[in-house]
Amino acid sequence: MNALETRGLKKTFRVKQKAPGFAASLRSLWAPQWSDKEAVSGIDLTVAQGETVAFLGPNGAGKSTTIKMLTGILHPSEGEAKVLGYVPWKERKQLAYHIGTVFGQKSQLWYHLPPSDTFELMSRIYELDRTDYKRRRDNLIERFVLGPYLNTPVRRLSLGERMRCEIACSFLHRPSLLFLDEPTIGLDAMIKERIRELIAELNREEGTTVFLTSHDAGDIERLCRRAVVIHHGGIMVDGPVERLKRDILRYKTVTIRIAEGAELSGSGGGNVMQSTILAANGEGRLSADVGNGTVQAGSSLPFGTERLPSEPGILKLSVDLTATGVEAVLSELMSRLSIADVTVEDPPMEEVIKTLFERGREQSAAGEGNPP
Amino acid sequence: MEVEKRSRRGGFWIGTLPFLFTCWKLNLAGAMEFRLSFLMTAGMMFLNNIIWLLFWGIFFSRFPSVGGWELADIMLLWAVSAGGFGWANMLFGNFSRIAYLTAHGELDVYMTQPKPVLLNILASRMSLTAIGDFLFGLAIYVYVGDHSLGGLLRFLLALLMSGLFFLFFTLAAGSLAFFIGNAEGIAFQLFNGFLTFTTYPTDIFKGLGRMMLFTILPAGFISYMPIGLLRGWDNGFMFTAAAALLALTALALLLFYTGLRRYSSGNRMAMRS
Repeated sequence: MNALETRGLKKTFRVKQKAPGFAASLRSLWAPQWSDKEAVSGIDLTVAQGETVAFLGPNGAGKSTTIKMLTGILHPSEGEAKVLGYVPWKERKQLAYHIGTVFGQKSQLWYHLPPSDTFELMSRIYELDRTDYKRRRDNLIERFVLGPYLNTPVRRLSLGERMRCEIACSFLHRPSLLFLDEPTIGLDAMIKERIRELIAELNREEGTTVFLTSHDAGDIERLCRRAVVIHHGGIMVDGPVERLKRDILRYKTVTIRIAEGAELSGSGGGNVMQSTILAANGEGRLSADVGNGTVQAGSSLPFGTERLPSEPGILKLSVDLTATGVEAVLSELMSRLSIADVTVEDPPMEEVIKTLFERGREQSAAGEGNPP
Repeated sequence: MEVEKRSRRGGFWIGTLPFLFTCWKLNLAGAMEFRLSFLMTAGMMFLNNIIWLLFWGIFFSRFPSVGGWELADIMLLWAVSAGGFGWANMLFGNFSRIAYLTAHGELDVYMTQPKPVLLNILASRMSLTAIGDFLFGLAIYVYVGDHSLGGLLRFLLALLMSGLFFLFFTLAAGSLAFFIGNAEGIAFQLFNGFLTFTTYPTDIFKGLGRMMLFTILPAGFISYMPIGLLRGWDNGFMFTAAAALLALTALALLLFYTGLRRYSSGNRMAMRS
C-alpha cells in the first residue's frame, strides 16, 4: 500500500500587490490589486510504505506548503491527496493519530515545563495505553539519552537537547509516517549522527515511512534512499539519491594537507607548488599566486581538477569524475607533493541542487533561444 | 501495511476529557514555575478590581441608587463579569489570542494533533491575571452575595454564562483574522469594548445604546445578570440570554471553522512578495 499519494496537488495564495510609496498605499486602500501566487503547482507523488524520501528544493520552492497540505494544515486549491488512506484536510484528526511531525521552527514542547511533562501531555493527546506509553517513553529516553535533562524546563535546554526531545516526542505514538522539516538544523555532528541513526532504526524496525526536508547533505545521504527535488512548485527530479548524485554530481572534493618541513620529493615543479601552498596565508594571496602563474609555471594542476579556496597548507581540489579518477589524481599528486593527510568527500547536497538548477536554467534558456 | 481506519478513539470521556485535565494541570504547573510572578500577577489583578469598586463606593455614598441599582448590585456585576472572564481565561486562555495566533501562523502544531482543534488551542494557555479575576469574583460573592442554595446556584449560572459570552464573543471577533488577515487590532477593540460595557449597569443606557448592548456588542446579557438573575429569576431575560448565547456560540464556531479552511499558516507567505 502507498503511504502517500498525490495527484495534481496545487496551492495558490492570493497576494495583495502594491507599488512602493504612500500614494500607492492610498490607492491600494480603495482598490487593492490582487494577484495569485502559485506556491505549489501540480505535484504528483507516490510514496510506498517504508520508503525514506528526501524532499529538496530552495527556499520558496513549495516544500513546506506541500508538507502542510499533506498533514492537513492547509487546504489545497486543486488536486487530490491520500495519506495513509485519508484525505488530510478532510480527515485531519483521524490521520493525526498515525503521523508524526517535527517542524524545525514550531516546537511541540512546553517552554516552561520539563520534557517529561510534554511526554505526559502527548500520551493524552494520542490516547496511548498507560503501560504501553510508559514502556515506549522509557525506551525512547534510553535511546535518545534524555535522562539527564528529562526534568529540566525546556527553556533551559540547549538546542541539541531540545531537538532530541522534540524528535523523541514525535516517536511516542509510533507513527506510520513521519514528516520531518529540517530535523538536524543547528545540531553538532555527534548528535546529528545519533538522530539519523535513530530515525533510520525506526524506519527499519517499525517500517515507518520517512518524509524529510533538509539542507544537510548528511541527512539526505544517510537517511534517504529517494530524493524528490522541487522548484517553482513542481517536481524537477525524482529518483534514488544515488542516481541523483551520479548523474548530477560528477565531482569529488579532494583535500590534501601538505606535510610541513618535510623533505620535498619529486620534480622541481612539485617543489614550487608545495612551497606556494605552504607559504600562502590566505585565499586571496594563494589565488593571486596561482593567477600570477607561480604555480602553473612549474606545476599545473592534475588534468580534470579545479582548485577550490582553502587555508594555507591545504590544497583543495574539485575532481571531475567524467574526466579523470580520484586515484589518478592522487597518485599524480603523491609523486609531486609531500602529503600529510588526504580526505575525499562528496560536495554538500546544496551544490547538487545548485548544479541542477543551473542546468535547468541553461536548458530552458537554450530552448527559448532556438525556436522550433 | 494496511492502516486500519479508526474514526473515533476514546470519544469525549476517555479521550478528550483526560487530555483537557492534563492540559489544565500542566498550564497551572507552568504558571507556578515562576512563583513570585504568579502570586504578584494574580494579586495585582485582584487589587485592580477592588480599586474600581472603591470608586463605585464613593459614588454611591452620594447617590444611593442609579436607575434602581444599588452598590451591592454593582459589586455583583463586577463579580459576574470578572469571575466569568476569569474562569474562561483560566481554562481556555487562548480565546483572546485567536487573532494573533492566526495572523502569525501558530495554529500548525494544534492542527497536527488528533484532538478537536479549537479545544486544543483554547485549553493550551492559562492566563495568570485571570486567576486574580476569578478569585475576586468569588470573594465579592462571599462578601455581598445571596448565600442561600438558590442564590449560590444562580450565581454559578451567572458565572458560567458570563464566561461563555466572553469566550464566544472574543472568539468570533478573533476569527475575523482568517478573513481580513491582520485582525488583531479590531479584535482587541471589540473585546475591550465588550469588557468595558460588562462593568456598567445596563440601565444607565437608553435607546440605541441599550439596543446595541443586546445585539452587536452583547455585553448587556452579562451586565443585567445582577437584576435579571441574581435578584430573582426573570424568565423573559433568562430565555433571551440563553438564546443569544446559543446564537453567539453558533456564529463563533461557524466563523472559526469556515475561517480555518482559509488558514494560510501565517501571513508570512503574503509578506514575502
